[in-house]
Amino acid sequence: MGTNCRHVFDRLQSFATCWKKNSTPTGRRVFHRDVEKEEFQYASTQCLSSYYSVFVVRLAIMAMLAILIGLLTFLTWHFTKIYTTKSLNSLAYDLRYELLQRPILRMWNILNSTSEITTAQVKLSQYVIRSHTNLATQADQVEMYDAMRAVTWALFASKRALNSITVKYKNGFVQAFHRDLKDNNTFYIYSDISNYSMASSGYNEINSLSPHEAWNDKDIHGNKSAIWYREPLDPVSGEKIGKVMPIAPEDSINIAGLSQVPDGVASWHVAVSKFTDSPLLSAALPVWDASNKSIEAVVGVTTALYSVGQLMKELVELHSGHMYLTSQEGYLLATSTNAPLLSNSTKPPKLKMAVDCENEVIREGAQWLQKTYGNNSPQSHEVHVENIKLGRQQYYIDSFFLNLKRLPLVHFKTLHLLLMVDLMCNIVLKILQLSKEDQVGVIIIPRKHIMGQADERAFKTLVILISASLCIIVIGCVCILILTNGVSKEMKLRAELISHLEARRKAEASSNYKSQFLANMSHELRTPMAAVIGLLDILISDDHLTNEQCATVTQIRKCSTALLRLLNNILDLSKVESGKLILEDAEFDLGRELEGLVDMFSVQCINYNVETVLDLSDDMPKLVRGDSARVVQIFANLINNSIKFTLSGHIVLRGWCENPNSCSDDTSFSLEEKKSRCSQKTKAKQHQNHAKRISNRDNKMKLWFEVDDTGCGIDPSKWESVFESFEQADPSTTRLHGGTGLGLCIVRTLVNKMGGEIKVVKKEGPGTLMRLYLRLSAPVDASEQHCQADFANKGLVVLLALQGNMGRSVTSKWLQKNGVVTMEASEWNGLTQTLRILFHARSSAQNNGFDANYSIHDNLKSKLLSIQELRNPVFAIAVDIGLLDLSTDIWKEQLNFLHKYFGRAKFVWILNHDSSNTIKMELCKKGHTLTVNKPFYKTKMIHILEAIIKERNDELPKKNMTPKARLKEGNLHESLEIDYTQCDVASSDGSDISEVGSSKHVSVSQDKQREKIVRSNPPSQHQINNFVELTNEYMEDSNPTKEELCQSSLNSNDVTANVTPKSSSTKQTSFATVAQGEDSEYGETRKVSSSSRAVSAKKSLEGLRILLAEDTPVIQRVATIMLEKMGATVVAVGDGQQAVDALNGIPGVEDCRRESLLKERSTRSSQTEILSYPPYDLILMDCQMPKMDGYEATKAIRKSEVGTGLHIPIVALTAHAMSCDEAKCLEVGMDAYLTKPIDFKLMESTILSLTRRTW
Amino acid sequence: MEVGQMQRQWLDYTRSLFLEGFLDAQFMQLQQLQDENNPDFVVEVVSLFFQDSERLLKDLTFALDQNAVDFKKVDAHVHQLKGSSSSIGAQRVKNACIDFRNFCEEQNIDACLRCLQQVKEEYCLVKNKLETLFRLEQQIVAVGGSIPLVEPTQMSF
Repeated sequence: MGTNCRHVFDRLQSFATCWKKNSTPTGRRVFHRDVEKEEFQYASTQCLSSYYSVFVVRLAIMAMLAILIGLLTFLTWHFTKIYTTKSLNSLAYDLRYELLQRPILRMWNILNSTSEITTAQVKLSQYVIRSHTNLATQADQVEMYDAMRAVTWALFASKRALNSITVKYKNGFVQAFHRDLKDNNTFYIYSDISNYSMASSGYNEINSLSPHEAWNDKDIHGNKSAIWYREPLDPVSGEKIGKVMPIAPEDSINIAGLSQVPDGVASWHVAVSKFTDSPLLSAALPVWDASNKSIEAVVGVTTALYSVGQLMKELVELHSGHMYLTSQEGYLLATSTNAPLLSNSTKPPKLKMAVDCENEVIREGAQWLQKTYGNNSPQSHEVHVENIKLGRQQYYIDSFFLNLKRLPLVHFKTLHLLLMVDLMCNIVLKILQLSKEDQVGVIIIPRKHIMGQADERAFKTLVILISASLCIIVIGCVCILILTNGVSKEMKLRAELISHLEARRKAEASSNYKSQFLANMSHELRTPMAAVIGLLDILISDDHLTNEQCATVTQIRKCSTALLRLLNNILDLSKVESGKLILEDAEFDLGRELEGLVDMFSVQCINYNVETVLDLSDDMPKLVRGDSARVVQIFANLINNSIKFTLSGHIVLRGWCENPNSCSDDTSFSLEEKKSRCSQKTKAKQHQNHAKRISNRDNKMKLWFEVDDTGCGIDPSKWESVFESFEQADPSTTRLHGGTGLGLCIVRTLVNKMGGEIKVVKKEGPGTLMRLYLRLSAPVDASEQHCQADFANKGLVVLLALQGNMGRSVTSKWLQKNGVVTMEASEWNGLTQTLRILFHARSSAQNNGFDANYSIHDNLKSKLLSIQELRNPVFAIAVDIGLLDLSTDIWKEQLNFLHKYFGRAKFVWILNHDSSNTIKMELCKKGHTLTVNKPFYKTKMIHILEAIIKERNDELPKKNMTPKARLKEGNLHESLEIDYTQCDVASSDGSDISEVGSSKHVSVSQDKQREKIVRSNPPSQHQINNFVELTNEYMEDSNPTKEELCQSSLNSNDVTANVTPKSSSTKQTSFATVAQGEDSEYGETRKVSSSSRAVSAKKSLEGLRILLAEDTPVIQRVATIMLEKMGATVVAVGDGQQAVDALNGIPGVEDCRRESLLKERSTRSSQTEILSYPPYDLILMDCQMPKMDGYEATKAIRKSEVGTGLHIPIVALTAHAMSCDEAKCLEVGMDAYLTKPIDFKLMESTILSLTRRTW
Repeated sequence: MEVGQMQRQWLDYTRSLFLEGFLDAQFMQLQQLQDENNPDFVVEVVSLFFQDSERLLKDLTFALDQNAVDFKKVDAHVHQLKGSSSSIGAQRVKNACIDFRNFCEEQNIDACLRCLQQVKEEYCLVKNKLETLFRLEQQIVAVGGSIPLVEPTQMSF
C-alpha cells in the first residue's frame, strides 16, 4: 500500500516537473533562441511521454482506489465476522458445556443420593437385623419386620426422588415402598408373612451348605407360592389410607434379589419397568449378618431418571436445541424431548437406541455421530462439531463422555452378591455395570440459535459494504475521469501547440537557410552568367556567323541578360530577407540619377512608341544623402514595369518635395540669407527669388514620386498584392511580358527600408499611378543647390515643336511658370503655321499690327501680345527631329524652310538616338549646333536657354562692332554638344560672363588658348576626359573629315571648357590646373597616335594614376596590364605597407618596379611634377595581403587623410563575394569593391564612376 | 611542318584545354590583353603563376607536415593560390583550392592532405598543358608564323 502511494506520488512529481519545464522555455524564448530550440525538443518529448503517462496514472489511481476500498471493506467485514464468530463460538461452547453439565450433574446427584440412601438402608437394616438375632418366634420376627418397615419408611420419605426401596430377606420376605410418580401415590408392598416363618431354620442350613443354591431354590419355590400385598399410604405421614390389595409378585416393582449382588458387592443397573416410561436407576446392596458371613437381606433402591429428562427439557426450552443422554452402547437414558425412551412395540419393553429415537433431530444427530465415529468414540471422549446439517438446519453437536468410575461405592466390594430374579415378569433387563459405565451426553443446538443473528448481520454488513465500496469506486472513477479529462485536454492542446511551434521553427529555419543560401550563392551564380554573356558578346561581334546563327545568338544574349536580371532580383530579395542589405549613405545628385534613368529607358521606349517624361519640381533638392544605386533601382523597376504594360502613350516620372518646415517665415529667412550671401558674391549673378530650402541635416525630407503610365492598369483589388513576392496582377501577363513578379516586391522592400511607402493610387483615365515617398536627408548646404537660372526677364520666347504631348506640356508648363513665353506645336504644319504667325506677325506688327489673314486663336494671340511687349525677344525653337519627314528626302526641304528663320531664332534640335549621321551632318553644315538627344527635360532646357542667353549677351556687344562677321564666325565653329553630365556644374552657378567673353576668341593660336585655359577656372579632370571620349567617338564615326573634325573638336574642347563656367564654390588648386594641362596634352598626343592605330581599344582611363596593391604576382600582373590597356598609369606594390608608404610620398622608384616601361617612358616627364602632390587618382587594394592587409592599409590611409580634405578613392579587390566582406570594405573606408577574377568592364566602370565622383 | 597546320593544331589544343575545363574565360581575357606592347604577356603571367604556385605548394606541404598545423596559415596560402589560379584562368586548380579551403575551415588534416595532393596534381596537369601550349607557340613563331588570334567563337561552349 505504502509503496503504491509512493509510486503515485513519484509520478505526480515527475508530472509537475514536466510542466514546470514546459512553462519555463516560453518565458525565456525571447532571449535565447538556441536554448529555446533545445528546450522545445526536450519539452515536446517530455510532454508527449507525460501525455501517455497521464493515462497510465489515471488507470493506476482508479485501480488503487478500487483495491483500497475493496480491502477496507473486506477487512472490516473480516474482523467483525471472525472475532464475533470466535467469541460467539467460545461463548457457545461454554454454554453448551454448561448446559450439558447440568443434566449430568443432576444424574450425578441422583446417583449419589441413591447410593447414600442405599448405604443408609443397608446400615440400618444391618442394625435392625442384628438386634433381632434370635428370632425365636413369629412375633419377634414381625417385630423385626415392623422395625424394618419404620426405618425404611423414614428413609423413603426423606428422599422424594426415590422410586422405591425394597428389602428382601433371606427367607423370601419382601418389604418395599413404592412411589408412583405418575399419580403421586405411595404404596407399601409386602409379602405374606406366614409363608416364610417355617423356612427360616432350614434356610440357615441350606445356606451353610450352599447358600446360593438354597436361596435360588427357595426363592423359586417361595415365589411361586407367595402372595404379595399392597397398601396405599399417605405420602406424608405413612399412615395406611387404603385397603390392602393382594398383587402378583413383582407386579409393580422390581425387587432386588440375591442375583443382583452375586459377589456381595453393590451393583447398579438401569432398568425399565412397565409402570414407568422412563428408565430407572437401581442399586442393590446385600445386608450381611454380624459375622459377615451370610447375607441376611438385599436392599434395592430405585431412582427414576425422569428428573434428568425433565431438567433437559427445561434447559432446552430455555435455550432451544436438543439434548440426550445415552449409555455407552447407545441406549437413550434421557432426552430433552417427549419422545418415548422405551420401545413400545416389543414386549417386554426395551430401551431404545439413540439412532432409533423418534425425534428426528436426535436420531439424525446420533446417526451422524455413529457414522462419523462408528462405535469407537474418540479418545478424548469429547466431540465438538459445528455446522452439521441435520434436516434442514445447521446444528452444533457436542458430545461429552462422562466417566462415572469415581462413584463412591468402592467400599461395597465386600458385599455379597445378590441375585435378583424376576420370575414373574420375565423382563430381561439390560444391566449396565455402573462401575464401568460411561455415559455419553450429546447436545445438539441449532446454529441459528447462536450464530443466527451474527450470520445474518455479517451477511448484511458484507452486502452493504460491498455495495458501498462499489458506489465509491464508481463515483471515484467518474471524478477522476472528470478531473483528468481537463488535464488531458490541456496536455493535448499543449502537445499540438508544441508540434506547431516545432513546425513553424522548421519552416522559419528552412526559409532562413534558403535566403542565406541564395545570398551566399551570389558569386557562384553571377560569375557563370557573366561569363556566358561575355562570351555571347564576343560571339555576336564575330563576322563569320550566318544571319540565322546571329539571330539565335542574339536571342540567347537577350535570354541570358534576362536571366541575369532575374538572378540579381532574387539575390537582392534574398539579401534583403537575410538582412544583409545595408543601405549606403552617400551624397548623390538625385536629379541627375533620375535623368540618366529616363535617358536609358527612353531608348527602350522609342521602340514601343511610348514617351518617357521626367517631371521634377523645382523644389526638389539637388543633392541628397542615401543609396543612389538602390534609389535608381527602385525607379528602374517601376519604369521597367510601366514600360512592360504600356504600349502607347506616356510614362511620367514626377517628383516633388514635401517639406515639413515649409512655413512662411522660412522664405523670409532664406531671403535674408540670400541677400547676405549675394552681397559677398559677384553682382553679375542674377538674383534668384525662389524659395530656398533650409533643411536640417537631421531632418529628413519626404520626397514624393509618382510613376504614371497609360498602360493596361491594375485591378483595384490587386493594388496591395502586386507588391508581394512572385505576385502579378494578371497571371496571363507572364506569358505576354515575362517576369517573375519580383520587381515590385524589391521596390517595396527598398522603399520601406528607406523609410517610405509605396502604393497604387487611383488614376483618371487608363493606366497605373504608383505613388511613393522616400525619406532622404539632404546635406546642410542644400540651399546652394537650388540656384537656378531665372529666365523671367530675359525676353525669351520658346517654341516647342515636340511630338510627345506629355513631354511638351510638362516642359511648357515649367517654362511658363518660370516666366518664359512658350508656344507649342505638335506636328510640322503646326510648326510652320506658328512660325509664320510669329515672324510675319512680328514683322507686320512692327509696322501696323497683326495681319488679319492669319486666323489665330485667342490663346496664341495673348501670347503674341506678350511677345510684342518684350523689348528684345530672343526666339528659341526646339524642333523634334521626328517632325521632319525622314522617310523621304522631304526633310531636306523642310530643313531649308526652317533655315530661313535661322537668323531670327535659335534652333535647338532634339535628336533621336537613331538619328542618322547624314541628318546630323546636314544640321552641322547649316550651323545648327544646338542639338540634344531625347528625352527632353528640364535640365537640358535650362542648359539650352542659358547657352542662348549667354550667346546673346556675347553677341550684343559684338553686334555693335561687326555683328555679322562675329555671328557667322561664332556659328560656324561652335558645335555645342551638351553633355548633361556637366549640367550640375554648368547650372550650379551663374556664369562668369566677362571671363568667358574674353576667352571667346577662336582665332588665337592654340598655345595662347592653353594659357588662357590655365588661367581660367578649369572644369574637373574627368569632364575633360569625358569630353575627349566623346569627341573620340565622334571622330571615329566620321572618318572622312577626321582631320578637320579633330581640329574642331579641339576647339570645341576649349569652348566647352570656357562655356562651362567656373564654379565659385569649387576649391581651386593649382595642381589641378597642371594636371588639366597635362591631360589635354596627353589627349592630343594619344589622338595623334591613335589615328594611326586600330581603334578597337578605348582608353577610357587615360591619364589616371592608379596604385595597385596586390601580393599575388599573377593577379598583379594581370591587373596591371588590364589597367594599362585602359590607358591608366599603374604603380604596383606588394603589400599594404608599401601602399601606404607610396602614398605618403616615399615612392621609391624601386617600389614601382612593376610599372610598365612604356608608361614609365611616357610619363617620366610628368612624374616629377606629380610627385609633389598626392600622386594617385585611385588605389586598387587587395584585401588579403601579407604584412598589412587591405583593411589596415585603408584605415591608415584614411587616417592620414584626416584634415587634408583629400579623399583618394580606394577600390577593394577581394576573392570573397560575400556582402559581409563588402560591408567590411566599406566600413574601413573603401569606396567600392571588385571581386576576383577581375572583370574588365566592371573594373573600368567602377574606376570611372569613382574618379568622376571625387572631382 | 606547315605553318597553317601548326596553327590549326595550336587552336585545337587550346580548344581542348577549354573543353576539358583546364582553362576558363579568364585565360581568354589574358590572351586578349596580349598585344604588341606586351608580346609575351601570357607567357610572362603564366610563368609568374608557376613560380608563385610552386612556392605556395612548397609552403603548404611544409605547413601541413608540421605536428601542429597552423590552419590559418594554410588557409592564407590556399587563398593566395586560389586567387592567382583564378586570375590566369586555371579553373581546375581553383576548384581544388575551393575544396581545400572548405576542409581547412573544418580543420580536417587528412582531407587537407588529400586536397593538397589533388591541387598538386591539377597544378602539374595544367602546367604541362600550358607548357605544351607555349612550346607550340614557340614553334609557330620559330617557323615564322603568327599565333592565331584567340577566336572564342570557334570554341563551342
